[in-house]
Amino acid sequence: MSTLSTTAPRLVRPDAPPSQRRPRRRRLGIAAIVAYLVTFVLILPMAWVVLLSFQSNDNILRDPLNFSHLSWANYSTAMSTLNLMTMYKNTLILAVVSVSVGVVISFTAAYALTRMVFRRPGLQKSLRFYFLAGLAIPVYILLFPVYKLNIELGLYGTYAALILPYIATQLPFNMLLFTGFLADFPGEIEEAAIIDGAGLFTLSWRVVFPLMRPVIATLLILNIIYVWNEFPFAVTLINNPAMTTISLGVSQFQGFWTVDYGAMMASATLVLLPQLALYGIFQRYVVAGMTFGAVKG
Amino acid sequence: MKWLSTRRALALMIAPAFAVYSLYFAYPIGYSLYQSFTNAQAFGSTKLVGGKNYVQMVRDTLFWGSLRNTGIILLVSLVILLPGAFFLAHLLSGRVKGAGALRAMVFAPNVIAPILIGLIWVFILDPHIGLVNSLLHTLGVQHPPVWIGGTTLSPWSIGVVYTWQTVGFIMTIFYAGIRMLPHDVMEAASLDGATGWQRLRYVTVPMLQETFGITTVLVVTGVFKIFELVFQLTGGGPVHLSETLVSYTYWMTFSNQKYGYGMALAVVISLLGVVVTVAQMAFMRRRRAS
Repeated sequence: MSTLSTTAPRLVRPDAPPSQRRPRRRRLGIAAIVAYLVTFVLILPMAWVVLLSFQSNDNILRDPLNFSHLSWANYSTAMSTLNLMTMYKNTLILAVVSVSVGVVISFTAAYALTRMVFRRPGLQKSLRFYFLAGLAIPVYILLFPVYKLNIELGLYGTYAALILPYIATQLPFNMLLFTGFLADFPGEIEEAAIIDGAGLFTLSWRVVFPLMRPVIATLLILNIIYVWNEFPFAVTLINNPAMTTISLGVSQFQGFWTVDYGAMMASATLVLLPQLALYGIFQRYVVAGMTFGAVKG
Repeated sequence: MKWLSTRRALALMIAPAFAVYSLYFAYPIGYSLYQSFTNAQAFGSTKLVGGKNYVQMVRDTLFWGSLRNTGIILLVSLVILLPGAFFLAHLLSGRVKGAGALRAMVFAPNVIAPILIGLIWVFILDPHIGLVNSLLHTLGVQHPPVWIGGTTLSPWSIGVVYTWQTVGFIMTIFYAGIRMLPHDVMEAASLDGATGWQRLRYVTVPMLQETFGITTVLVVTGVFKIFELVFQLTGGGPVHLSETLVSYTYWMTFSNQKYGYGMALAVVISLLGVVVTVAQMAFMRRRRAS
């Protein structure tokens, strides 16, 4: 990195004394101020919700910029009226089951479709294409048919009614990552294991699967975020209040709280902050995972 | 390996994924395709009507309205989101103190449930209780604009909210691109006396051409999938004026219960998705080749 800039003399050595570098510094200062300002504006909407959650309803309506009477009152209203625990429980069940089953079955299928030998290689290729083709389809075309299908199968109103479509919609991407990584997997490791007498189960689960840790971590993060935030399926497939997920619950806040904006904001904060906290802890992995496809290609 | 690949083993390993995917992904698509050629609705018998639903779409002003709104959101995203994300990436790749933390904060909205993002922005944009108009009132503006729920501004506002939601994601992709730029080229440019702006304009931007391509494709795919923001901010109203393709399809299918027509709309959305994905794969292939 050079220390040159418009106003600086042409040839300043990098180790030049600070006085000669001043122009560069000042510009960096402006860049920093702009960066801080933009970031501040970008996090303001979230901060605003948290702030409002401490405001009385009167204040929100008349004078939301007056912060002299902040209190926890909205939180006690929210906690005592809204069944947030049920929402969290439902979402957690859906996420744990659909993500773990989804990762396991996409791994076995991807393993068979990349490492194993088909008598007809053409079939192997077309099956791979079949699974990956789903990447191009937006989920919205699935909503109504899946709703009908669940009724036909007698699953409507159960967790399975959501778990199955969640697994299905995540399969194409899971297959993409698994087949991509398995295709590059060194054959020597497998051969060594086979010579040592490993069967198919030992080979795929004990030898190869543990070596796929980075891919699995990425998939777990992406799938969990997907199920956690999923709304279109939840709103079409859940009719039982006891099964409400977090996203579905949030969509009902405006109808549920009507004009009690304070309690609504407290409820929103109780959904927002845990999510931000988890993101804060796993931030590095989340960002890497979510941008994985776009950055690595 | 060949010895282990018995027909039974292969079948057992593929069957679970194949079954779930076929039943809950492939079959529904076939079902929607078929339904899109029928007059299926909540009541009455269903019969095949050929391409009637698709012909009806051409004359449906609400369809064109929702397409136009989707176009407005796309326009806002291409004009604000892409350049904004690029400049932010440029800004945060320099020697700003705490740039890592700033990048993490800017990315945060991407992990929040879109439905919650919609609710958050109701309290920013709502003409009566929103922060923006509260501020404008304080500044003495008598009749501040109706950002959402009015007759004109809603899709533009949704574009801004979408920009807020995705800017960190797109910024991260640009950031990765900027980080991968060869150092010596920059050095050479500055030794030749290129100013910061010139380096940006004549070195960084041209060298990030492919990154611009990828981010454009990501924005286009993303915009066509917007649903929760509309659901929360305007519900598509008033009188369908702020509907997007997806929200209009949802309303037609589940509220209006015209399943046949709704599925025809869904098929059109999916075709758009396929076209964009094929374009995306072409980009990726070119990138891998280079």
